[in-house]
Amino acid sequence: MKIKFLTIISIAAVMFMAACGKSDADLQKAVQDKLTADNVTGVTVAVKDGVATLTGEVADITVKNKAAASARGVEGIKSVTDSTTTKPLPVATPQAADPALTGKIMENLKKEGCTTVTVSVVNGKMTATGEVPDASFAKCVRVINEAGGTGFDNQLTRRK
Amino acid sequence: MSVQEKYQTLLDLANQNGTTYELSEGNEGTLVVTGTAPSAEAKQQLWDEYERLDPDFKGGDLILNIQTAEAAAGGGMHTHTVESGDNLSKIAKEYGIQWKAIWDHNRDILNHPDKIYPGQELKIPM
Repeated sequence: MKIKFLTIISIAAVMFMAACGKSDADLQKAVQDKLTADNVTGVTVAVKDGVATLTGEVADITVKNKAAASARGVEGIKSVTDSTTTKPLPVATPQAADPALTGKIMENLKKEGCTTVTVSVVNGKMTATGEVPDASFAKCVRVINEAGGTGFDNQLTRRK
Repeated sequence: MSVQEKYQTLLDLANQNGTTYELSEGNEGTLVVTGTAPSAEAKQQLWDEYERLDPDFKGGDLILNIQTAEAAAGGGMHTHTVESGDNLSKIAKEYGIQWKAIWDHNRDILNHPDKIYPGQELKIPM
């Protein structure tokens, strides 16, 4: 029992010393290197007393999450303050004018057997109504998603 | 919670399974995900995750427009199945393009622009 206790104490002591062994500047470099290795771009790292603060604008939420996780994984970093922001998204443009989009969707729906669905399109926003057999619900939703519109009000109901 | 946060597991999955995507903002803050999956399986994984997050796809805040790499190789063509009463001008008008564009893309299956038959599958350049 006593040996086990001593072992824990010494491991803790070694870890503590290792953590203290790195200066903030070392840690800053370690985090920056780790981010580069993980293909995270656009993030600036500052480290003070072992706390990493991430700033910058990243492509999307996945990069933001990855940056924070990577920084946390660096030995000696006590905690991470994530102040990165995600890039504002460009405005989506419908792939075709409303009547053309409607025609395309109706044609695709028919081809997939979604004959009970009616779609109308206003400024790229697609509204779907109708009752669809449960088994083909997801398929019909997918067809509409892939038409190239910029909004989707799904009012379809499932027929069980 | 932002829309990106809501669908972050979906986007993470896309990164993991080799799907390339672009994000844009559609009507009323809709997150529009346009991309290409390396395989039909990868695409199905994304749809399964979407269904897990929103079982009825009724959130109205996401458009998941993922095609597979094979479909993308087709060059963004859409297929129109000719119906009785169709002619190239009429079909072209439906898609907002010139009839000649359809003619040009279907010379391999059409002999004359006036002669199309129900059931024929025309390639429509979009």
